Amino acid sequence: MLEIKNLHVTVDDREILKGLDLELPKGEVHAIMGPNGSGKSTLAYVLAGKQDYEVTEGTVTWNGQDLLAMDPTERANAGVFLAFQYPTEIPGVATMTFLRTATNAVRKARGKPELFTPDFLRFVREKAATLKIDPEMLRRPLNVGFSGGEKKRNEILQMALLDPSLCVLDETDSGLDIDAVRIVAEGVNALRSPERAMLVITHYQRLLNYIVPDRVHVLSDGRVARSGGPELALELEESGYAEFGERAA
Amino acid sequence: MELPVKQFQTRAEQDYVDLFAAAEQGLPGAGNPWVAQLRAKAIHAYGMLGLPHRRVEAWKYTDLRSRLTEALPLARATGAAVSEAELSQALGAEIAGLLAYRLLVVEGELRADLSDLAGLKAAGAEVVSLTEALQKPPRWLKDTLGKSNAQDRDPVVALNLALMSGGIGLRISNGVSLEKPVHLVHVDGGEPASVITRSVVLVEEGASLDLLESYASPGGAEVQRNAVIEVEVGNKASLNHIKLQREGEAAFHLVTWLVKIDANANYKAFQFSTGAALSRSQIYVAFTGEGSSLDASGALLMRNHQHCDTTLLVEHHVPRCTSRELFKAVLDNEARGVFQGKIIVAPGAQKTDGKQMAQALLLSETAEFDSKPELEIFADDVACGHGSTSGQIDEDLLFYLEARGIPQREARAMLIQAFVGEAVERIEHQGLREALGKASAEWLGVTFD
Repeated sequence: MLEIKNLHVTVDDREILKGLDLELPKGEVHAIMGPNGSGKSTLAYVLAGKQDYEVTEGTVTWNGQDLLAMDPTERANAGVFLAFQYPTEIPGVATMTFLRTATNAVRKARGKPELFTPDFLRFVREKAATLKIDPEMLRRPLNVGFSGGEKKRNEILQMALLDPSLCVLDETDSGLDIDAVRIVAEGVNALRSPERAMLVITHYQRLLNYIVPDRVHVLSDGRVARSGGPELALELEESGYAEFGERAA
Repeated sequence: MELPVKQFQTRAEQDYVDLFAAAEQGLPGAGNPWVAQLRAKAIHAYGMLGLPHRRVEAWKYTDLRSRLTEALPLARATGAAVSEAELSQALGAEIAGLLAYRLLVVEGELRADLSDLAGLKAAGAEVVSLTEALQKPPRWLKDTLGKSNAQDRDPVVALNLALMSGGIGLRISNGVSLEKPVHLVHVDGGEPASVITRSVVLVEEGASLDLLESYASPGGAEVQRNAVIEVEVGNKASLNHIKLQREGEAAFHLVTWLVKIDANANYKAFQFSTGAALSRSQIYVAFTGEGSSLDASGALLMRNHQHCDTTLLVEHHVPRCTSRELFKAVLDNEARGVFQGKIIVAPGAQKTDGKQMAQALLLSETAEFDSKPELEIFADDVACGHGSTSGQIDEDLLFYLEARGIPQREARAMLIQAFVGEAVERIEHQGLREALGKASAEWLGVTFD
């Protein structure tokens, strides 16, 4: 279970999260929605441990472990995975080398045997195929020259390889056409399990047609303003975020 | 010895003149008037110039005069044994074990007993020991050696010519292309000494060569190295020229490549440096034939108080030549990196296309990188550009890797490796490319399978 209590976070001396409370039990998928600037991405980064996001108050625990006391690597080892809204391009690092280094680092930390080349390649190719990832893409430098869709599929591939227990998806649908959204959503759905919790952050309801959440939380001004079932997302699609501080488009 | 010119400022400055006077009669080629004249002219040029210091523009960031407190005695060839294990230790197993025609130069002397002279000869290459060749130089050596005007303006090159006491001559004849690279190894780990060598490499018309030069001075040996390589790349010839500098922590390393590129030829240079207390690599390239290309790149990884200077001078004397330069510096602790790149485009050298880039990654607050590009363009239809950047490891990239479970130390190493890799990738020879990739990982103290 992910438990966030009274979380206050400051970025560049500006308070973004202002007392956020959230409970996400194992096995469930919760959506975080909300207008721009409500703190959605800040929440994602804070969970993953990005520096410059200063927690001034509150607690975050995952299965009872204090996440805020861990550095980003330790969080990844503890099962936290952030699918980035804007995956970083790293020229000079081959995608395959990166995938192998990351997978084995996490496996090692969790006391599992490392995977060596032939086994690892098979493992990656299998997962990549289900995400319709061209094997050629894996030979390129990490995310360099990848299309928006390729970057997001690569994120989900990493999620599958690293076997996390807490998945945080930050605007995974942004910039994707409907076919790409479907492929990514299928990849995510394949990873739903009773042992895994997922936090799906999105501005639009569209993604939630494919990844149907157990609960929906609406963020406004750094706090959870409203929570409800999947029908809340549909309601927001109708009414917009006007009542949560965003002017109608 | 009396020189008509300069009042010497430091002991070391005077030492070289004394070394020359004491050694002159015993230096290789002493009985040969051609050699004697070259040496006399060169020591005279040195006398005019003295040791370079920071008020000499080309040495602005590397004050050799103040760093050299004394000139060590000239190395003497002792025929010392060099084992494979020692070579492997000094150069790294990958490089020492490289499948190549090996030429081993110890204390300036080409060691026939430790070199693959027979293999090279069978492959159609001509090799001579400079020590021997200066007594009775073959025509091709005489036509090349000492012909550059660099010795008139560069005191380090002048000193080299005056005091050269070893090295090799290598000639790849018309149309010949060797299957394996030639690996010219300089290893010096004996008594404190000045090791002054000059080598000549000719790649004649239509010939091609991969040449690796490696330099090491194991065991903290006090070596003051001054090496000059005179290179000619003939018409339609191709040379991939790579240098590995892994000198010991006490070493001074001054190495100059004097390169002439004829028409429709390709010259690719790469330099990889991790060693020496103070090093300066000079690459002087002159295009003398149209339609040729130069690709010079390199990477240096320095820490503690190491000082590493790369200085390039590219002279486009003729039209339609291209030059590309990409140098990467990784600097930790108090280390200092210097890059100076000068491109000169002579009047009439139209359609010249010259670009250079120098980039530094500073791993500490106290590391320093000085970059000085210079363009002197006297033709109007040219494309020339230069750039220089200096920065720290990108925190966003680091976070991305850490968020995937990669420990910070390893993540940093991956990013540094990637930074250096952009230059290393330009090496065409796969074995060398991989070996130098591993050498940078070794410097970082990590391994990536």
